[in-house]
Amino acid sequence: MPTKKDKGQATPALPADELTPATTNGKEEADKGKVNEPLLHLIVFKLGAEYYGIKIEQVKEVTVTPAITRMPRTPDFVKGVANIRGDIIAIMDLEERFRIRPEPAESENGVTYTLVIEAKEYSIGVVVREVPQSLNLTVSKLDKTPSFLQDIAVQENYIEGIAKVDNRLIIVLDMYKILSGDEIRQLSS
Amino acid sequence: MKRILIVDDSFYMRTMLKNMLTDAGYDVVGEAPNGQTALELTKELVPDLVTLDVILPDNTGLDVLKGIKAEQPDMKVVIVSAVGQEVIVNEAMENGALAYIVKPFSEEKVLEIVSQALKEE
Amino acid sequence: MKSREQEYKEIFIAEALEYFDALNRHISDLEKRPQDDQLLAEIFRLLHNLKANAKAIGYLRISDVSHKLETAFSLIRNRELQFSDEVVTVLFEGVDLLGELIHNIDNENYGEPDPVLLRNLDIIVDNLSDSTIELAKVRRYNTSKNLSLSELVYIQIKKLDHLLNLVGELVIDRDRIVSISRELENDELKVVSSHLNRITEDLQYSIMDARLVSIGSLFNKFPRIVRDIATAEKKEVDLTLAGHDIQIDRNILQIITDSLLHLVRNAITHGIEKPEQRIKKGKPATGKLSLVARNDRENVQIQLTDDGRGIDLSQVRKAIVDRNLLSNAAVEHLPDTEALSYLFEPGFSLAKEVTEFSGRGVGLDVVKNAVDSIGGRIRVDSKKGVGTTFTLQLPTSIAVKGALLFEVDEIFYAIPLIHTEQVVAMEVSELHEVGGVLVADVLGETITVVYLHELLNVKEQEINFGDKTKLKGLVQNIIIVSYNNRKLGLIVDKLYRQQDIVVKPLNKPLDTIDLYGGVTLLGSGSVCLVLDVPAITRYFISKRQTIAAE
Repeated sequence: MPTKKDKGQATPALPADELTPATTNGKEEADKGKVNEPLLHLIVFKLGAEYYGIKIEQVKEVTVTPAITRMPRTPDFVKGVANIRGDIIAIMDLEERFRIRPEPAESENGVTYTLVIEAKEYSIGVVVREVPQSLNLTVSKLDKTPSFLQDIAVQENYIEGIAKVDNRLIIVLDMYKILSGDEIRQLSS
Repeated sequence: MKRILIVDDSFYMRTMLKNMLTDAGYDVVGEAPNGQTALELTKELVPDLVTLDVILPDNTGLDVLKGIKAEQPDMKVVIVSAVGQEVIVNEAMENGALAYIVKPFSEEKVLEIVSQALKEE
Repeated sequence: MKSREQEYKEIFIAEALEYFDALNRHISDLEKRPQDDQLLAEIFRLLHNLKANAKAIGYLRISDVSHKLETAFSLIRNRELQFSDEVVTVLFEGVDLLGELIHNIDNENYGEPDPVLLRNLDIIVDNLSDSTIELAKVRRYNTSKNLSLSELVYIQIKKLDHLLNLVGELVIDRDRIVSISRELENDELKVVSSHLNRITEDLQYSIMDARLVSIGSLFNKFPRIVRDIATAEKKEVDLTLAGHDIQIDRNILQIITDSLLHLVRNAITHGIEKPEQRIKKGKPATGKLSLVARNDRENVQIQLTDDGRGIDLSQVRKAIVDRNLLSNAAVEHLPDTEALSYLFEPGFSLAKEVTEFSGRGVGLDVVKNAVDSIGGRIRVDSKKGVGTTFTLQLPTSIAVKGALLFEVDEIFYAIPLIHTEQVVAMEVSELHEVGGVLVADVLGETITVVYLHELLNVKEQEINFGDKTKLKGLVQNIIIVSYNNRKLGLIVDKLYRQQDIVVKPLNKPLDTIDLYGGVTLLGSGSVCLVLDVPAITRYFISKRQTIAAE
């Protein structure tokens, strides 16, 4: 199941709103006739009962979650560290981070997946229960300013917007902001 | 802290001298491997003292000494020379060198002569 | 390790070989132009230097032969000796002999130089231009001349860095193979893996050794720097340096260069008073600054001491409270050494009170970060009005360090030996509950002991450091660590061996977690957390204070 994202590939115009397994990025199905409206390529996964998306540029790889060494006295959202091909990477639990009520543990045969996220200054792993999927959608499908976002505190600004696809609501995250300054400080306390 | 310029064409000799002097708390501000550099550095750095080897690849130490004295008559110069150069050493002393050290030298001897020379007015 | 003698010897040999090559070149030219005074002067100079250097270092044979050749050439220079074919032959042979002597400095089996050749040299030197002298034929002991290049090479540090990284990876795989071979019980594999073990270790230490430089290469820059800062500050400072010969990894030296410069600058700018103030206080007008390096077990200790105004502890305590780092009550009972350690807190430095009165604050957290990043320790001792000492404890080499491996609640940990004092096994009955903590008598010293399970894995609100009943088993393994002159015993679940580990630093965002200095990969491939002793000690103290305050 592990897949590497193909970096630096120009994304051709694609039919929007197509959910495909993350192993293919759906580019073969490109419809050349479409107007070249900019596209968003997301990796979509489930946390709790909701779907979340991360822009593919921010995802370095998807892998079966390796053995995690717990690190005592770190915030609950830090699950620990893991050895991913010689790199020691912090593994985060976003359900804990967003205080999402987890779905009753139902992941098939206990296998979970880890998205390795490459943010500006750091790499982190994010554990998800189900196989992440790949999704293309046109930028216009992303509502950057849903009204509820304007009401909540600034610290929640890691939500880049909400996309509606096939009656599904996808919360698009900006991983560069996922660990706010506060939390990094919390790590060192 | 007194500032010293070392003139010697042998890297080994310069290293030994520099270590001895630095350990004793002197500030070795420069090292010159030949006469030309020696003259330039003496002018530029204005050290408190110059240790001068008498046999150099371009000029003789004697020429360097005269060159220094022509520009900076008060510059303190101590001659460093191996045995067998007594004639040159004598001439150097007549030309304003304060003292001389004979190679191979002991650390005590070097420090004694240098501190003595630095005290002289 | 390279001593200064070793360094002198290497320089001597490298330079002597250069001279030897140049002599060969010039003497061949001289054959074609026997009247060339410049060539003669140059040959004379080279021999002269070789003589003096050899005499200084104590290679008397080399200085003796150089002396004879030097005399011969000075006779030729003064036209007292003809540069005839016969003479040329002897001189060439003399130069060859010099080359041989230089090449065989370390060869104990090298015999005496050919007496016939020495006699021929004497004849040339002593008998002047007596044409009747017989120059005996010298037996050529070395017909096929070896071409030789310099014994020293310069190498870019990044190439050494690369080698060290590679060897770090190799060590990890080596450990893996050794542990697999133990499980597999295959004799052939065991033999190969034990050989692999040995050569990897050898390789590792050879690379570490190649990276070592004398601390003098940094120290020697300070006289000038101190002079310049002192002049700018209108202060008189006398700098003493010691320990130039101490060897340390070049990159470690590089990393602490700025820190040391910073500390020296602070010491002069804020520590040492102006001459008139010093005289008023009854101190000599000239301030004393000393920078001393020494070997301390496997590590290098660098100490910077000034006799300036020192740090006002009451101001430090006040700043700790003002910055809400500790309560008033807690600060009162804080030992002086502990209070001083707050100077290294990030942001603490900006405390106006401290900079005004002691001026010590600026950027000390940066210094501490640099020292921490290489797994070192820093401590400050100070007495108001008397002076301040900074002590840096640094590892000799970066990548590999000795560590003690152990386990607590099924997590593997390592503590670098730089922080461990000793390991003791004690029965629970020897541990006593005193004032909310456990204490033990270790060789006559009362030491506070903490169960790491309690410190690391019990819910913070439920921590109880003073409850013996929580300990599992009868005998407890205790690792005694020390930080800031204070000892603390850590009770672990399982104690493993002492082992050299390659510490990988934690990447962002985890790099800000104090408790862990990094991680290392074990032979099994599992991740082992490297505990940071200063942080663990601080964490224990702050938890204890919180509990006491409740």
